[in-house]
Amino acid sequence: MAQNRGHIPKSRQREKPREGLKYIGKSMKRVEDPRILTGRGIYADDINLPDMAHVAIVRSSHAHARIKRIDTSKAEKLPGVLAVLTGAQAAELTGPLPTWSSPPVFQRVIAHEKVRHVGEAVAAVCAESRYIAEDACDLIEVEYEPLPIVVDPEEALKSRGDAVLHPDHGDTNLILESKFDFGPVAEDFARADHVVKRRLRWPRSGGTPMETNGATAVWDPGSQRFTIHANTSMYNFVGWMIADTLKVPHHKLNIVPTLAGGSFGAKLFLYKQPVMAAMFAKLVGRPVKYLEDRLDASLNNDAHASDRVYYVELACKKDGTLLSFKQRIIDDYGAYFQYGVGQHGNALAQVVGAYAINSVGVHVQAVLTNKNQQGAYRGFGSEVANFVIERLVDAAADELKLDRIEIRRKNFIKKDQFPFLIPTGNMYDSGDYEKVLDETLKLLDYKGWKKKVEEMRKAGRYVGIGIASTQERSVFSSTEFWMWNLDGKIGWTSSPDSMSLKIDPRGRIYGTLHSPFWGNSPETVATQVIAEQFQVDPSNIEITYSDSDKGLHSTGPGGSRFTVMVTGAIVGAAAILKKKIFKIAAHMMEANADDLELRDGNVVVKGAPGKKVSLQDLAFHAYYMRLSMPDPEDPELTSGLDATYVYDHPVTTLPDPKREHMGIFYPIMGHMCHSMVVEVDPETGQFKFLDYACVHDSGVMINPMTLEGHMRGGVVNGIGSAASEQYFYDKNGQPTNNLFTDYIIPSISESPADMKCGHVETPSPFTEYGIKGGGEGGRMGTPPALAQAIEDALSPFGIKITELPLTQNVIRRLVREAQAKKAAD
Amino acid sequence: MKPAPFRYVRARSVDDAVAALARDPEAKLLAGGQSLIAMMNVRAVKPETLVDINALSALDYIKVKDGGIAIGAMTRHETVKSSPLVAEHCPLLAEAYHWIAHRAVRNRGTYGGNLCHADPASENPAVALVTGATMVLKSAKGERTVAADDFFKGVYQTAARHDELLIEVRIPSRPKGQGWGFMEVSPRKGDFAMTAVVCTLELAGATVKTARVAYAGIADRAMRFAPVEAALTGKPANEATFAAAGAAARKAINPSSDFHADEAMRRDLAETLTRRVLAAAKARCT
Amino acid sequence: MSNEKITITVNGKRYDKEVEPRRLLSDFIRDDLRLTGTHVGCEHGVCGSCTVLMNGKSVRSCLTFAVMADGAEIMTIEGLGTAENMHPLQKGFWEKHGLQCGFCTPGMLMTAVELLKEKPRPSVDEIREALSGNLCRCTGYQTIVESIQRGAEIMQGGK
Repeated sequence: MAQNRGHIPKSRQREKPREGLKYIGKSMKRVEDPRILTGRGIYADDINLPDMAHVAIVRSSHAHARIKRIDTSKAEKLPGVLAVLTGAQAAELTGPLPTWSSPPVFQRVIAHEKVRHVGEAVAAVCAESRYIAEDACDLIEVEYEPLPIVVDPEEALKSRGDAVLHPDHGDTNLILESKFDFGPVAEDFARADHVVKRRLRWPRSGGTPMETNGATAVWDPGSQRFTIHANTSMYNFVGWMIADTLKVPHHKLNIVPTLAGGSFGAKLFLYKQPVMAAMFAKLVGRPVKYLEDRLDASLNNDAHASDRVYYVELACKKDGTLLSFKQRIIDDYGAYFQYGVGQHGNALAQVVGAYAINSVGVHVQAVLTNKNQQGAYRGFGSEVANFVIERLVDAAADELKLDRIEIRRKNFIKKDQFPFLIPTGNMYDSGDYEKVLDETLKLLDYKGWKKKVEEMRKAGRYVGIGIASTQERSVFSSTEFWMWNLDGKIGWTSSPDSMSLKIDPRGRIYGTLHSPFWGNSPETVATQVIAEQFQVDPSNIEITYSDSDKGLHSTGPGGSRFTVMVTGAIVGAAAILKKKIFKIAAHMMEANADDLELRDGNVVVKGAPGKKVSLQDLAFHAYYMRLSMPDPEDPELTSGLDATYVYDHPVTTLPDPKREHMGIFYPIMGHMCHSMVVEVDPETGQFKFLDYACVHDSGVMINPMTLEGHMRGGVVNGIGSAASEQYFYDKNGQPTNNLFTDYIIPSISESPADMKCGHVETPSPFTEYGIKGGGEGGRMGTPPALAQAIEDALSPFGIKITELPLTQNVIRRLVREAQAKKAAD
Repeated sequence: MKPAPFRYVRARSVDDAVAALARDPEAKLLAGGQSLIAMMNVRAVKPETLVDINALSALDYIKVKDGGIAIGAMTRHETVKSSPLVAEHCPLLAEAYHWIAHRAVRNRGTYGGNLCHADPASENPAVALVTGATMVLKSAKGERTVAADDFFKGVYQTAARHDELLIEVRIPSRPKGQGWGFMEVSPRKGDFAMTAVVCTLELAGATVKTARVAYAGIADRAMRFAPVEAALTGKPANEATFAAAGAAARKAINPSSDFHADEAMRRDLAETLTRRVLAAAKARCT
Repeated sequence: MSNEKITITVNGKRYDKEVEPRRLLSDFIRDDLRLTGTHVGCEHGVCGSCTVLMNGKSVRSCLTFAVMADGAEIMTIEGLGTAENMHPLQKGFWEKHGLQCGFCTPGMLMTAVELLKEKPRPSVDEIREALSGNLCRCTGYQTIVESIQRGAEIMQGGK
């Protein structure tokens, strides 16, 4: 019986992928850079307002405890202290923080009655300086009544009584459990020749940008409005939720984005910092800044990432055909549950990887523990899915005695099968996985390395090759979140991005973005697309950012959306403007509007090279010569040249009401193959890269240089996740490595010196120009390839890698255990 | 992450500094500050008084003296690292500096401050042990010298009394023919060691005449272990001996576990690095 | 805990200020002088974002008290070049995409200034050694190395 996987809607693509584009596809230097390179970029901590005060928080030293008593009297008396708030006081001034979990798990800006993880705010001080605020924090005495501490996610399944973090959700820390069978899982397993079984462990890391999260708030008692400067995203999507928490009407809050010094998900939506700053700003009547310091950022930033235990089974035929895939996942969400299990929706977007696997069984158990809560990190949970499916495919190859590359080739979704609906209902829009693999093998010189590795092994060296073919879903639709909610209600289905365009009287083009800069290249991308649309030189284009007062509906970057979405919005706004431009130009040149096109800053008549009007003259005309318009009463010919456009998600469908599939929710499907050669020192557990090559298919590229920037940067994130990074909590819930001295972000010395990048472009049939997202793929492709390479290098020991991060300590332990086992045998 | 307030005293001379220490039992010295200020920023320490000795340029020198080199305590790491005198007389110290911190930290951090901070995972104390360095301490009452073997007492603890200032470190020149080695495993390059092993080795023909081996990152301080050196002295300078020394190291140390390396890892590293560092040292015996 | 009077020259401009002894040089530069191009990433000396030059040598401004810089000459990113007239290293970073979010970039640039002063034509290994104490979360470092090589080339008169 064929599974109902849903339907594929018609494409709304207007700009077909094509040769001969002038600005798209070029490695243009970034327009963001001059101000950033000269120290003139304004980041969150660079907001400096007259009379500004500063907030510091008292962080809980307990992982789980009742707050018995807080004595703030000494702190209040310290000169320079303006206000001190406890959780009880803050609860009177503010409501619960925004959450997407359903039913909601409430979190407050300052913990009230109970602390649920080390580092959670139990009190906060606003003072003349951050120094004084921290002095005052030292003077606050908190008495705790310890509660049982839950650290291990599998133990959390058994918690009862006082060990339960949120008893209003029942006597359990299992906050959400969901089971889906997508397709005929039981039947597929019944016809399998072989089932691969593994327990896999993906560790808790985090985006950990160099800049922490922060906000500066101003309360204007005259207009009764808050203005909040913050390095946030999604402020034009759900920024109004902060007004709810601050107990003001939504229009009494304006959020102004600053530059973000990196996010990788950690700044997807700031609420704690804006609420903290705003709460105090109103209270003390002065501008107030709350910037996380590095300890706040690792202990209390709501941005740790997936922390999962997988029990997985992969059903295969003897010849290596992959049939079905079953997974039970226990995911440690920490103390709160802001995005629900959005990270698992994400994973299901590409859960079968690059393979035509017929069915998938998923059992997710989301547990709460006494840790900083999960948020988003480059991949948002789907990077884990990549690791899991690739580890299983490697295992299947090994157990079936097949070649690791050939088993992939055999199971790839073939290039003529796109658009392809996978069992979960998500669509893969386009791809050519064999080509990406072949290009990667070429770029790495796989054959050459194979030979070299053999020789090196003969010389006693432990060298291995890793190759993984993985997916990069891009352009999320908000349906990915609510399919999981158990109340059965239809949730949000909109997730657009917008653009405002204006051509001024002298022909210069202004683009206003409604999404912020968070370390990507939004101004450059917009400039290149606008230049293409209007055929003007990029030096005539100026890009700025709206605040939320002037903001249009925009989801913001995240889920590798931005480039696709802003391009769609620009194309939409440009179409409106061009229609007007051609109408006016037709009149000015006495030509037919259908015969006109834009070229080199002019409107020209096709096939009549001399006949043209410059955009500059035309704009002047449009602004000031209303009565010289073709028809002054034409409602499309109002004075000036401006347009806005809200571009909705290019292709998304509703989940199946019977929950047989999730609909199309993450369909613009990138693909990449990462390959590397590593040498391991089995005695010390150290490894080094001998070579690295990766090929990405991000559809049509707007700027290959910035895309490669994301690829390489992502690789090093991936190396961190796979080999060194872990936010670790001991059995008492005490974080052991909350500073950069011990949370090991790879430095240049741990990063490959030469990461060779290649590209395959299979255009998306659904997005403008065929673009796909490409912001996350690097991190999503590296871990499974690195695990495979290290496993290959250590193959003489027969080691199977099932856990990350592969620190020196872990690699050495695996070798030691293998040696002990061999000695015992 | 801002430091707590403190009283600030700027010492203009060595006498000034020791007088300030004598005056105020709560005073702590501020040299390069590369460890101290980081600890103050997280308020792990809140000294009441800091005596800033950065103006003591009289303690910024490297010179040849009495069959060795004398390094002023306020000599910045980077100066030591790039010193031709150090390379000539104490090549082990020069080599160790490939593993120590990063340029900007070395520009400010001082050699003396590093030793007095006595971080158990720091490299320089272990080097001081095997090179037989001597610390020259000065107080208002006078000067005294302490051998490196007696100097390091525990985590951030040394033999220097509260009122004493380390002014100079004397390191005997490498005896002709002596080999040396330094090896370390750390989470990242420039990080503190999970385990570091340092050695000097002198041969008499094919036999080990003397060997000194010191360890960082495996105890509350940098340490030498008699069984390790006993496993070497008078033995043939070969792989088997070096392996025996490694095995002795594995047994002699009593390391603790932390997030980066558990006890077994540190024992493994001590054994492996001992073996390797001795082989490297042998290759340098001329 | 009285304040200290200090005189510091930053980017060629002399400042006479009174500071608390505990005031970090990073805060002095950013908040007292309003030169916010110097960024504070970790505030415990690991990330290198706050690196400035003190008497020509790179230092962590978060691991230096402002009083320790009394009498010193400091150079920050603002002293390097302007958008109209970039320093060769800034040009190199622009051309070779040596930055994404730009937060670590001031520290990278100041570290590179020191390197090129000593080694006008550094090798890849020398650049990697020099940058070993500066964390970047965006680029993967490779283009930063290329940027510095390009900056060196421009400084040497290359086009």
